[in-house]
Amino acid sequence: MNSYVIGVLAGIAAVVFVAAVIKWRTRDRPMSVAEKADFLSKRRARMLPALAVIFLSQQASFFSQMTGAEHISAEKAKITAWLVLSVVLLLGLSTKGFWLESKEVRNLVDDENTRANRNEAMRWGFLFAMASAIGIYVLTMFDTVTGREAVHIVMSFGIAAALLRWGILEKRAHRDA
Amino acid sequence: MPERLANRLKERRSELGLTQAELAERVGVTRKTVNTVENGVFTPSATLAIKLAGALEISVEQLFWIER
Repeated sequence: MNSYVIGVLAGIAAVVFVAAVIKWRTRDRPMSVAEKADFLSKRRARMLPALAVIFLSQQASFFSQMTGAEHISAEKAKITAWLVLSVVLLLGLSTKGFWLESKEVRNLVDDENTRANRNEAMRWGFLFAMASAIGIYVLTMFDTVTGREAVHIVMSFGIAAALLRWGILEKRAHRDA
Repeated sequence: MPERLANRLKERRSELGLTQAELAERVGVTRKTVNTVENGVFTPSATLAIKLAGALEISVEQLFWIER
């Protein structure tokens, strides 16, 4: 089987596995829509910084590979799995998320304060992505940076910054005075 | 001196014997949003301000004012 297909399947399997674990852990908790939205919102606040760390640690694995190793099957699979995770995180950042929940819960968990926090996080993500693009532009004056490396750096900084910022804002919002 | 939107949300909520979660349910937001408005961390939209005032049975002007 093509290494890129294996990467896509591995990425999708990881996402499905995490979603299944989350569903399984909440199976015996009868909650109203409001309680569930509050519960999910708190869990999201805890998960966002952890997701940013996992996402960034994947970049360390990409940059630790030897030059030219991107043709090795395992590396192709790793790169594709990273791409799947990036797309899932971007979808999580740009949509209401919690795709397996009911419409009522999804609407409530994406209320006014959440939307404001998410917009602020996206602003940070954009600024960090642009700053890293400028950094790479300067770097290319002194060293060679491949297109794939540049995309990795820009996406990593942009997505991780947005995830971290959103996590911080959500944690602050849940904190009682 | 920067302006900030002050409110008497907590005071009025306590008068009516409502919890943050109960008020949140009445206006269709999460407890987190009520918490952030109450603490002055988040400035609500006009729509939410009107809904909060309605749920707390007072006018928007009585519930929110600008502090300089």
